Amino acid sequence: MTTPTTSLRPHSPRLLVHPGPLDPVRIRSMQAARARHVRLRLQPSRTLFDALVEPLYGMGIRNASITILSGVFTQLQYCVAPPDPSGKSVAAYTQPIEAGRCCMIFGNATLGKHANGAPLVHCHAVVRTEAGLLKGGHILTPQCTVGAEPISVLVTSLDGFELRVAYDAETNISMFQPTAQAHDA
Amino acid sequence: MHDDVHIENGSMGRIAYARIAPNEDLVRSVEKLCLREGFRNAFVRGALGSLIDACLVRQDDTWQQIQGPAVEIVSIAGEVRTQDDGKLKARLSGVVADPEGNVHGGVFVAGFNPICVTFEITLEEWLPLAD
Repeated sequence: MTTPTTSLRPHSPRLLVHPGPLDPVRIRSMQAARARHVRLRLQPSRTLFDALVEPLYGMGIRNASITILSGVFTQLQYCVAPPDPSGKSVAAYTQPIEAGRCCMIFGNATLGKHANGAPLVHCHAVVRTEAGLLKGGHILTPQCTVGAEPISVLVTSLDGFELRVAYDAETNISMFQPTAQAHDA
Repeated sequence: MHDDVHIENGSMGRIAYARIAPNEDLVRSVEKLCLREGFRNAFVRGALGSLIDACLVRQDDTWQQIQGPAVEIVSIAGEVRTQDDGKLKARLSGVVADPEGNVHGGVFVAGFNPICVTFEITLEEWLPLAD
């Protein structure tokens, strides 16, 4: 286990050299005049992905920032992102790690779209495993099943612009970028 | 409007989402995002991404360094406030997961949390009622 070090003064922050050319724009942002807020209950036995996406699409919400409150999952998989052994990027997700039946303490998720327009959820969360360990990382939402009790979620909708996966040449990784609304919504 | 008022009435205003690029500092970038979007005060509504290494301050004023890469940002709570002198200050705390998935939490030290691959954040503008 990695033991965090403590010190009176922090070490200087490291700078990692990414494989692609540096993008001169360091902050890409968009804003909307107001957010809509929705309280959602993730339904039992559904995957986390379906339990989020189906009701939100039913309400016309395609882009959102989501806080997942605590609840039990009967199965859950996550990844962490150590250095990429291939060297193609500075970090890469591991193979899925099986957390089994566990309690999500809380999580954060972003709803947006793949480059082809299909819905995508990017989710990070911390869980308590049945062995009592606290684990966190990138949650594989289609591989997580909501337990017997619904789980409360706060949705902050992002209207007027959209989040779409785009290839980022600097990091050689595709990721969400805020963009003007496309017409395939 | 002062930072030390006990109760501040107000309402939520605009909403902004940003993707912040690698090697930028977490705390300073959130302050710059507010400058960019014209938010004087804001609350974090959602945040996830990764850091090269994380640096969290503890109550005894020592720093806790969590070595990556990548240290995944699981969640952040925080606010950005315009100070009496007009400067913006973000105070962000949160939970991170190290490359083995073990979790750590605390207040992020400004200037010492470089972003690894990407950082996504949603800020909601806070509009205090004029005093």
